[in-house]
Amino acid sequence: MSIILDRAAVRVAVDGHLEPKTLLEPVTLSLSERRIGVIGANGSGKSTLLRMLNGLVAPSSGTVTVSGADSVRDVRAVRRRVGFVFTDPLAQLVMPTGREDVELSLRRSVRNPRERRALAEATLSRFGLLALADQSVYELSGGERQLVALAAVLAVNPDILVLDEPSTLLDLRNRELLRRTLAGLEQQVILSTHDLELALDLDRVLVVDTGKIVYDGAAAAAVDHYRKLCTADPVPKPPAGVDPARP
Amino acid sequence: MRGHGFLFANYVPGTSPVHRIPLWLKFLLVLACGTASFLIADWAVAAVALAVLCGVYLASGAGLRRLVRAVRPVLPVLAVLGLFQWWQLGGPAAARIVLNILVCVVAASILTATTPIQTLLDGVASLARPFRRLGADPERFALTIAIMLRSIPFIAGAYADVRDSARARGLERNPRALVLPVFITTVAFARQTGDALAARGLGDAEDRD
Repeated sequence: MSIILDRAAVRVAVDGHLEPKTLLEPVTLSLSERRIGVIGANGSGKSTLLRMLNGLVAPSSGTVTVSGADSVRDVRAVRRRVGFVFTDPLAQLVMPTGREDVELSLRRSVRNPRERRALAEATLSRFGLLALADQSVYELSGGERQLVALAAVLAVNPDILVLDEPSTLLDLRNRELLRRTLAGLEQQVILSTHDLELALDLDRVLVVDTGKIVYDGAAAAAVDHYRKLCTADPVPKPPAGVDPARP
Repeated sequence: MRGHGFLFANYVPGTSPVHRIPLWLKFLLVLACGTASFLIADWAVAAVALAVLCGVYLASGAGLRRLVRAVRPVLPVLAVLGLFQWWQLGGPAAARIVLNILVCVVAASILTATTPIQTLLDGVASLARPFRRLGADPERFALTIAIMLRSIPFIAGAYADVRDSARARGLERNPRALVLPVFITTVAFARQTGDALAARGLGDAEDRD
């Protein structure tokens, strides 16, 4: 069970420029550790990298495969295996209450309404959310919302969980709750974060800078590298493909 | 984004006899009320029908306050409509029209207050099932309605947010400062929702096995 990127790059066309803008330079990676982190500045390409892992962004060149399934040709199989949690849980909760959202996740796989209901309740109670199941998602706290979003994604039992800055909108208490919940998961977890303490718990950390992976290794060394990067060069160079002379 | 105070889907969990009425019968009730509003010619009959439906609503245990909240948004429109019809057609006709519309609103509220959204979606999906031969995907149909229900309060909330920030900058009289940001927020929300649905594999074409 692992994700393999083979010279995968992402470029987008920009109005008024002949050359496409490079969001991510070609990367070749094999992601098989249980807990992997991605750190880097805003706009460095973290989200693009993560979105590639479940086919939300298709590589412009190269390939991404998840245990053998190609992220473009076999995107549905890839999305079944890779669950994705967005930074803002309200962006991904489609239904008014947690129970309904978890049941929505299960609609395709469980046709019988009674079984679906039972499975949704089991999932919610696993995360201690059953008491909040029928509350409007707008009434929940940020941490509870994030957990509901997590429950809705995990309800269909993906093998791999990808989280895009899951703790950015959370206070300290909720961050701890999220951290403990993630630690208890059996899934492989790949997350991006600005929270260096969270990054230090992980088995392997990638540092992304202006569309390139500039460090790949153990957590402590990677965080150190990132700290040096930020203090040495406080004003980042413009990303490749953008000409600073042009307005 | 602020917590949007109202959600149209206002299911109240419960086990009252009203909750246990089968979904098709509730659908039929709403349909019958809609049809009856064209047929009832006497305002007294409409008033009795309204009283009966209010009784059914309260029997579900959803409470008077929720009933008032369900009806309140249409009251200003009904007031204008009622006055206009009074002037045009006289008191009894105006009362009949207003009461008939209220009958429809309360009947629809009974349906949404006593039916969980998932059950409603299952109902919608099974209604669309006969059209499958023509290429319709009932699950997608149900999902579309669910997203529509969820998006209306979001857009209302976006408008409230934008109005506040326009007010903070003294721009509340400038319609462009109100409409444009709401429009942009809505498009961004649509893209976000699309991403979220795609990431969860919702709305994919159905497996034909």
